[in-house]
Amino acid sequence: MRKLILGAAAIGFASLISQGAVAACGSITIADMNWASATFMAHVDKVILEKGYGCDVSIVPGDTMPTFTSMNEKGEPDVAPEVWTNAMRGPLQIAFDEGRLHAANPSPITGLGEGWWIPPKTAEEHPELKTVLDIIEHPELFPYKEDPSKGAFVTCPAGWGCQLTNANLFRAFNMEEKGWVLVDPGSSAGLNGSIAKAADSGENWFGYYWSPTAIIGKYKMVPVPFGVDFAGSENWDGCIVKPEQECADPQPSSWTKSEVQTIVTDSFMKQGGAANDYLAARVYPGPIMNGMLVYMEDNQADGADAAVEFLTAHENVWTPWVSADVAAKVKAGL
Amino acid sequence: MDLQNPPMMDRQELRDLKKSIDLGFRDFSRAYGEDIEAVFDPLLYFLVWLEKLLLAMPWPVVLVVLAALAWFGARNWFVVFGSVLAFLLIGYFGMWKDMIATLAIVSVCTLLCLLVGIPLGFLMARSDRVQSLITPILDVMQTIPSFVYLIPVVMLLGIGKVPGLLAVVIYAIPPIVRLTNLGIRLVDKEVLEAAEAFGASYRQKLFGVQVPLALPNIFAGVNQTIMMSLAMVVIAAMIGMQGLGQKVLQAVNNQYLSLGFMNGLAIVALAIIFDRISQAYGTRLQKHLEGDRNA
Repeated sequence: MRKLILGAAAIGFASLISQGAVAACGSITIADMNWASATFMAHVDKVILEKGYGCDVSIVPGDTMPTFTSMNEKGEPDVAPEVWTNAMRGPLQIAFDEGRLHAANPSPITGLGEGWWIPPKTAEEHPELKTVLDIIEHPELFPYKEDPSKGAFVTCPAGWGCQLTNANLFRAFNMEEKGWVLVDPGSSAGLNGSIAKAADSGENWFGYYWSPTAIIGKYKMVPVPFGVDFAGSENWDGCIVKPEQECADPQPSSWTKSEVQTIVTDSFMKQGGAANDYLAARVYPGPIMNGMLVYMEDNQADGADAAVEFLTAHENVWTPWVSADVAAKVKAGL
Repeated sequence: MDLQNPPMMDRQELRDLKKSIDLGFRDFSRAYGEDIEAVFDPLLYFLVWLEKLLLAMPWPVVLVVLAALAWFGARNWFVVFGSVLAFLLIGYFGMWKDMIATLAIVSVCTLLCLLVGIPLGFLMARSDRVQSLITPILDVMQTIPSFVYLIPVVMLLGIGKVPGLLAVVIYAIPPIVRLTNLGIRLVDKEVLEAAEAFGASYRQKLFGVQVPLALPNIFAGVNQTIMMSLAMVVIAAMIGMQGLGQKVLQAVNNQYLSLGFMNGLAIVALAIIFDRISQAYGTRLQKHLEGDRNA
């Protein structure tokens, strides 16, 4: 019995080696972060790199900080497709400077970020509400159920960083004087539910959310431009994101730009060859990404299912990312 | 035959089933959400009114009312002083507003539970069939994880006081129903026969004999219902119900130890005050009856 197992292992190992020898870019690992869009991207990368570039890809689970640390210290995994860099700008910059990590793609998804949103119906019925500055003059359009004389602005659940940000922006835009209340939805389920309910029943809704997410995609929520410029990082990082008592005089500002990058290790950068070009070229348009997240949620699909769906349904999106030859190989491999 | 895996519905079919349930509920809430909301509007107005009233009252008045209630319920100076002191401390630590919000909600919840629960208990005690119908429903209400019904409640009613109130009522109503039922069923058959012999009608039997004799059990139910609504306050805060629960949630999410403990202890203080007053009132009622019976 033991011999048998050993034999099988040996054969398996041999086949692994031979595969590696055939592969143009060797064997690589991709981090599969624990949120939907990152899982989806990891699996699309896996299919394209395997079928199109002959890499031997394995997927490893990850999360922002552990994956970053592991990539930085151990050079494993090789690729992190979707890293939100706002919270870790400092250490990441050091890793970039030291040449241990590289940004293979500085913005793999367009139209992403945090901000204030309204449902499409509101946007359609009130075309005059172009910016946050317009909306805050009309609290009567967004009545607060518990005090209909006020307008409701739905913020983040307590404990999320964005709750502080929203509270300070609320003050910066003088919204209390204009007749608004900050409504705490209590939890992410509460926040999602309040959007779902408003969008389903055609009510007006005004509040915080972020993209890419299934909620934004499903209800086709419309981001509202703030109508003011970004008032500088001193105002943002030194005041807006801090607790109220540490932010005496918040200035109106648009939301800071969220940055998402695809990050690769130095060894992948050197050995990956053409795969790097693919990573640099693949940019998901925001609506397509949101659409895929909706697909995943509606069908309770995992990343692998979603990758196949994307590659079959959105050829016009991904074929320009690769050469015609590679595209043909990927299509044949599906 | 595959003995490792039990027979399972086809993945696709299962997915379709889940999807159709979700879509069905969404259509339902789109179609009737507004009407259902309208049904609950009076409740919301009452809640908002009560909270505003309590907040508008000068704090000494609130304390006097509290002391009077405590005296009326417990007839015990210790309970009266303890309640007033607890409220003063809550105010001193800056939790007055949240405490009032919680107090308003819990009072309304309890009232609602009693209004619905006690008659339901009467019905159950009257008919075995009703009992066998309602008991499993109560079991479900008590054991189903609250998060499960928070989702449909939010989809129907949005976030805020009313959905929070409903979530609390679902969780807190079973004990009063069960204990009312139990209390009435435990009344001696012979006592009832005696009442019947005197020609008592159903109503006379119920309110003249059964309810008074069942009071200890009914009061235990009231007490449990109050405790359970207070315990639910934190969960209901997850769908935007304001008050002490929200602060506890905030503390949990931020790892604010002191904020969590203060608000948590404020909930405990409210619970103990409610408990002592209602319990003492219950026992007093009972003693009074015993006196009557012996006389």
